[in-house]
Amino acid sequence: MPVPEQYEFFIDPSRCIGCQACVQACSECDTHKGQSMIHLEYVNRAYTTQTVPVVCMHCDSPTCAEVCPADAIKKTGDGVVQTARKPRCIACNNCVLACPFGVPKMNTGAELMMKCDMCYDRTSEGKKPMCASVCPSGALAYGTRAEIMAQRQRSRPTNQFQFGRQTISTKVNMLLPREQHSEYVDVLSAMEDQGSGQDIFLMLHQD
Amino acid sequence: MATLPRNEQDIIAQFGPQRAYAHGERLETDVVPDRLVKTHCCFCGQQCGIQLKVKDNTVIGFEPWYDFPFNKGMLCPKGVKRYLQGAHPDRLLTALQRDPASPGGFQPLAYTAAIERVAAEIERIQHEYGNNAFSIISGASLTTEKTYLMGKFAHMCLKTSHIDYNGRLCMVSAGAANKKAFGVDRSANPWQDMLHTDVVWISGANVAECAPITTSYVWQARENGAKIIVVDPRITPIARTCDLFLPIKPGRDIALFNGILHLMIKNDWLDHDFIERSTVGFDALAAHVQEWTPKRTAEVTGIAQRGIEQAAEWWGQAKTSFLMHARGIEHHTHGVQNVLGAINMVLASGRIGRPNCGYGTITGQANGQGGREHGQKCDQLPGARDLANPEHRAHIADVWGMDVAAMPQPGVDAYELFRKIESGEIRGMLSICFNPKVSLPDSDFIARMLDKLEFYVAIDFFLNDSARHADIVLPGSLQEEDEGTVTQVEGRVIKINRALDCPGEARQDWRIIQDIAKQLGRERGFTFTSPREIFDELRRASQGGIADYSGITYEKIEQQGGVFWPCPSVEHPGTPRLFEPGSWNPVAKGAGPFYFPDGKARFNVAPYTPPAEDVDAEYPLILTTGRVISQFLSGTQTRRIGPLVDQYPVPRIELHPQLATQLGIGDNDWITAESRRGAITLRAQVVRTIRPDTVFVPYHWAGRKSINRLTIAAQDPISKIPEYKVCAVRVFKAAGPPAYADELEPQQ
Amino acid sequence: MTIRPEVRKALAWGTLVTALLAVMIVVGSRNLAHFDAALVAYTFATLFAAFGVTYRYAMWLQRPPTAMYWRRGWRFFLQPQRLLGNLGRLISRAGSDVAANRFIWRRGRLRWLAHWLLMWGCIAAFAITFPLVFGWLHFTTVPNNFGWYQAYLFGFPLFRFPLGSLFAFIVFHGLVWSSFLVIGGVMLAMWRRMRDHGAAAVQQFVEDMLPLILLFAISVTGLMLTASYTWMRGYAFDFIAILHAITVIFTLLYMPFGKFFHIFQRPAQLGASFYKDAGARGASAVCRRCGSAYSSQQHIEDLITVERQLGYDYRVDGPVEHYQWICPPCRRAMVALAQSQLWLGQRAPQMFGVVDAPAPTPQFGNAAISEGPLGSEDKANLHF
Repeated sequence: MPVPEQYEFFIDPSRCIGCQACVQACSECDTHKGQSMIHLEYVNRAYTTQTVPVVCMHCDSPTCAEVCPADAIKKTGDGVVQTARKPRCIACNNCVLACPFGVPKMNTGAELMMKCDMCYDRTSEGKKPMCASVCPSGALAYGTRAEIMAQRQRSRPTNQFQFGRQTISTKVNMLLPREQHSEYVDVLSAMEDQGSGQDIFLMLHQD
Repeated sequence: MATLPRNEQDIIAQFGPQRAYAHGERLETDVVPDRLVKTHCCFCGQQCGIQLKVKDNTVIGFEPWYDFPFNKGMLCPKGVKRYLQGAHPDRLLTALQRDPASPGGFQPLAYTAAIERVAAEIERIQHEYGNNAFSIISGASLTTEKTYLMGKFAHMCLKTSHIDYNGRLCMVSAGAANKKAFGVDRSANPWQDMLHTDVVWISGANVAECAPITTSYVWQARENGAKIIVVDPRITPIARTCDLFLPIKPGRDIALFNGILHLMIKNDWLDHDFIERSTVGFDALAAHVQEWTPKRTAEVTGIAQRGIEQAAEWWGQAKTSFLMHARGIEHHTHGVQNVLGAINMVLASGRIGRPNCGYGTITGQANGQGGREHGQKCDQLPGARDLANPEHRAHIADVWGMDVAAMPQPGVDAYELFRKIESGEIRGMLSICFNPKVSLPDSDFIARMLDKLEFYVAIDFFLNDSARHADIVLPGSLQEEDEGTVTQVEGRVIKINRALDCPGEARQDWRIIQDIAKQLGRERGFTFTSPREIFDELRRASQGGIADYSGITYEKIEQQGGVFWPCPSVEHPGTPRLFEPGSWNPVAKGAGPFYFPDGKARFNVAPYTPPAEDVDAEYPLILTTGRVISQFLSGTQTRRIGPLVDQYPVPRIELHPQLATQLGIGDNDWITAESRRGAITLRAQVVRTIRPDTVFVPYHWAGRKSINRLTIAAQDPISKIPEYKVCAVRVFKAAGPPAYADELEPQQ
Repeated sequence: MTIRPEVRKALAWGTLVTALLAVMIVVGSRNLAHFDAALVAYTFATLFAAFGVTYRYAMWLQRPPTAMYWRRGWRFFLQPQRLLGNLGRLISRAGSDVAANRFIWRRGRLRWLAHWLLMWGCIAAFAITFPLVFGWLHFTTVPNNFGWYQAYLFGFPLFRFPLGSLFAFIVFHGLVWSSFLVIGGVMLAMWRRMRDHGAAAVQQFVEDMLPLILLFAISVTGLMLTASYTWMRGYAFDFIAILHAITVIFTLLYMPFGKFFHIFQRPAQLGASFYKDAGARGASAVCRRCGSAYSSQQHIEDLITVERQLGYDYRVDGPVEHYQWICPPCRRAMVALAQSQLWLGQRAPQMFGVVDAPAPTPQFGNAAISEGPLGSEDKANLHF
């Protein structure tokens, strides 16, 4: 059964509180039980508590699948880029290195790439993915567009990402400010950023 | 007893904590669960709804419960992995008796023999030294039914004054202040009221890590246009992107609240109508905050003056607002004053008792709210009644069918109980759901007192760090092995459902208590056959009280997705929002919305006092303590769940790079923090997210990793809460790794 | 109609290999002297399969990433100074990966057992049937000694053995034994596929179930043949033979298209391993944001080429040059940081950006979750 069309995935990393509920819940998913496919990273813990939860963005034209020498990565009709097909994956690591979002993981011993498949065991049955079910901050959310937009008065979804000269469009949406006019996220603009958020000295009383 | 029966390593080898991971049926992907049990998480006061997957009397996983209104399927990592606490290798399956000759220092004992021994010791101690020589320490993670039974057991069966509970370390400052200001102790609003406010003010609450689900409410409010103000010595994850962050010096919250009030008065950002109509005591307060000019406030709080002014402006001019706080302002020797300061700000704004205007304290424990209402607190009787009040005593004595004269008078707080052990007044103790050796301050003293007891019996499902000192350990039940109600952060009474049977000789806690009563030959009043029967008696006992549960039934809870107390009749739907104009309560009887005879709220002058132990040349840094998201309280459960241990394995000392450079400390170095009471060596975490004059250490670990060996036992004079959030320390680079680094696993 | 060059090339290869096989059949059966005419349908199906598989293989090898690996894999393998060592490594890797399926063992025990039984059952069956069908292998009774059999390969005498011996029993029932292995494997695989919730979500009938059904059908009809002539005096033998032939021929025809094609693709994993060996010996790629090493320079350069061939343009103006020169952890962090920038002024008032020092490598939040880093590449990817 395909993932119902009306349901979409929305991410807003700026909401992330680094709790790792998604990471822990991901390992409860039946398609890769015991292993988490979500990356959750501290951008720069020395500076900020900012964390980034990364799920697969399910690109319309997935670079990972294109660079796979073994034709192991398939996108299903409903737009979900599946984890490597086990008989084919030769563990070359191309997908891991090519994915612009840094999503796939390599299990060297099993000679197998593994990645987020949007909890296909759940979403193909009309259920929410594990991570977006448990996420207490709404950084990861899953629902109909109308539902999510009604809750996010100040946000607007985009699925366009710019990597240098390459534009990538994705099935998963990222939330940008509604009043912001950029149609896409220019990833390289963050090349020099150390992190984001409040600074302790901003409102510290200096004697 | 003088010491532990065996050395620490021997006990750990036998009883853990060991880390449990998913294996077998919990890891296989072809297992169909026998059933899904709708219940709630066993950890914090948010009480998220969760469905447990049960197969062959084991919880093998979970499924989100999307329909539960509070969390809608959301969970934090503790909720996700909580199922691993069941079928755990460390689980106590029999009663134990202290036996230094046995490998782990304890020997299995038949359950009935253990009960006989406990009863005999209680009898002996009370006979020899008087009823009050036997004490009980209980906990707020128990169901309300159990907490009710613990109070009844102390007051009716043992007739001892000496019962108190671990809410003493948690909710009491908020409770005392709420009673002083509102006449009732409950969060005034459902969290729903947070969603459409102009300003959300969060003081001393690491919302993202300690009440993770509340994050979704805060962010939702922000989407709807709210400004978020966070006051904390650390840039916690909720503070990172807030609109205004005020980096307060620990222990100075009251100064900030007074300073804000000063500006509210100065700029006339007041609701005069409300103050006039619904409050008492504003003028005295206004006179008091006169001296709290922004300049003085800045000097005391360590917050830049413009930050204080900005906060006052947003707060003052808001049309709607929601203020929350937690232990950050409550764990102080002036915790009650801090909370009163916060409430003063709310009352002066008039923004309470109507939609989108709210105030709440974030409860820490599962039943932080319900656990402090029904009589396990040293001065309390069911229904949030007073043990000292003759009317209240008479009502409860009547429900219990006991002679009111035989009912003991109020006792003392949990910490004072330990001081009474030292003085010899208390000779015996029963503990349940409380791990004082890890959770009380100056914990080396606590350990010595546990050893000084003539008899100590602990009820727990794991051998917690305090129970290692026990003479007898009785195997209790996990949350999923019993049913009952708890009252979560919003004041919503919800239902815990049983998923499993107790394994081995373990018993549901209420059965253990009843077995002791029976063995003592004082069975009357302790012959319940189910939690439902206890709840029905509790309903009658609470009837007419402030925390009136009389109209709540198990069925109604299921139908409505929880019932907010007060709920004085079966037809009554419950009261999500307190203090609505025109609302009725048993104290004001219609005179006004607040719980005083005149129906008016009280402004309380809240004078600033510095912490009990301020910094000085010798101990120049402030130590503050708190939690991390993957661990819970003293870690008895969470330090046994592998994936949670992995997430944050060992405590670290958080300090600012400016301070680190000054002390010659690098990130990840072994460093020692030392107070007048003890020292601890941990790794440094050098981060710019903390004030440079403050260091932070989480408190979930035991023994040589326990920060409570350094904290001070100074207490609030009213609430008796210990001052965990401020003490003076010095920090220096350690010569090398501490001995435990090689001897112990991270969770031990 | 013009035929695309890569198709033309693949057609040529397909034709060449098919023709070669045909010639081999003729030669190997001594001008069809030992060819069993009853098996002609099998032969043609095999020839078709050979064409299909070769065609698809040739098409596959022409895809830019495959071509790159093919070329580089052989070049690294055949480096004269390393050839001897590589041969050794090839043998040991073929043993552990191909023969023992060690990597599947690591993916799951049940999966391994099922695959191992299926694989060896099929190999044994092919090893017996193809030579027989092609007439490359045949048996005759030894003249003057009717109790003995003589085996011939390509018409050359191979060995002889007594008719009633255990050895003869084992050899003549080779297909029975292999079908036992296959049936066992099919049962386990089916059992797993019907129970495992994860597998249930992603499996497709044509891709995952049909191959198992085909192998099962071949094995069962084959066994029925044996049963028919051994115990039932040939009851319904012809019908069963036709049924068996249909299943086998269908499987042969399916071979180039479905799951069975992995049999031919799989050895590429050996090539990938030699490519990685060479990468590990060479220079490392260093992230142009955080400065940590995250792969081999060769691999990144090759990927840049492959991406260009595929029509992607990840070039970046300025010193970064190409997005491939950013390590995966920095990519993940940058996506979030770029979003933060767009929220600037609407959320926290202060977002700090440029500082003199280079940005540090983002740190994975939970190094130990579940199984920890799954090998060195995972470690580099996540920067544990």
